[in-house]
Amino acid sequence: MTGPTDTNGRTVASLRELPQSIEPARDLWPGIESQLTALPAQDSAQGAGPGYRRALRLRWLAAAAMLSCLAVGIWIGRSLLPGAAVGHLPPSTASRSTVPGLAPTALDAAYVSDPRYERQRRALVRALQERLAVLPPPARAKVTASLAAIEKAKKDLEGALGQDPGNALLQELLINTYQDEMRVLTDVHEASDSGRGI
Amino acid sequence: MVHAQAEETRVDWESALVQRARGGDRRAFERLYREHVGRVYGLCLRMTRDAQLAEDCTQDTFINAWRALGKFETRSSLSTWLHRIAVNVSLARRRKSGPVEPLPAEEQETAAEWTLETPVEVQELENAIGALPEGARDALVLHALYGYSHGEAARMLGIAEGTCKAQLHRARRLLRERLGMEVN
Repeated sequence: MTGPTDTNGRTVASLRELPQSIEPARDLWPGIESQLTALPAQDSAQGAGPGYRRALRLRWLAAAAMLSCLAVGIWIGRSLLPGAAVGHLPPSTASRSTVPGLAPTALDAAYVSDPRYERQRRALVRALQERLAVLPPPARAKVTASLAAIEKAKKDLEGALGQDPGNALLQELLINTYQDEMRVLTDVHEASDSGRGI
Repeated sequence: MVHAQAEETRVDWESALVQRARGGDRRAFERLYREHVGRVYGLCLRMTRDAQLAEDCTQDTFINAWRALGKFETRSSLSTWLHRIAVNVSLARRRKSGPVEPLPAEEQETAAEWTLETPVEVQELENAIGALPEGARDALVLHALYGYSHGEAARMLGIAEGTCKAQLHRARRLLRERLGMEVN
């Protein structure tokens, strides 16, 4: 039997100390993948057992963030842009503290290092503050809640990345969340530029 | 606490990968493969004692896992589930090559720590385990190396729990003889 390759001369005092994991001498994935490709289509269509219905916490957070962005985008497009009244609301309510999604975090720099992105984001944030100031309270609440959901998803993902910094899936989801945030900000900004008003 | 959180996070994302793989995402399944191949191959290697056969068993394990992902309950351990498949695959491969040895019925194993009176080199111990009869080796590997209970190991191997304990007793006696020292 071929034993572990990195155990030369090492001694153990218990069977539990033997390595459970032994890497094969070659990468077996190409062979597995080629056989998966050859499987009939129905084999790869996985069924939905009881476990399938169980939601995954972080995945739900990311999904919630994306759905929030989508909902905000649709809502802005359908309800706000065509002709909502302007200027009848007190501007003082749109403080930065009401937009938790806009607070920069420690990991921003790690994942969003492009200075152009930062400049654009700052400009959009300023525009958003102006737009929020003139929004009807229900609309402002929806935008704020959506950005809060995005911010929470960012924080949770960053927390998870703190535990597992090399996780490519987490990084991907975090970048997606940044993009979702940018999409919301851009939607509001473009509405302002187009002169259609909110 | 931190370790528990890290483990919980890892398991959460493993579940996410399982969900994606169920939807046909091979990239997600490849990540699961990378995560678990070492433990699966280690088990197959110890059960088959043949590197080429262990590679074949490992491949079959993951192919069978892909086909059966819809039946996997995400609240249970993916590692244990893969091990069950690996044991089945390894036993099936071995059955093709020869009959399983009969077991002396009177031998019964009680709780054992599987510690050695004197430390030995890993390779020497691996060789001694590899030289055990198949049934005794299977029970020993699952129980003493991978930490499965007598009941879990017995279910994986498709044998009665008493039979599993007897195999462990036999494995201990043989190891004691081959290593020339006490196995407590």
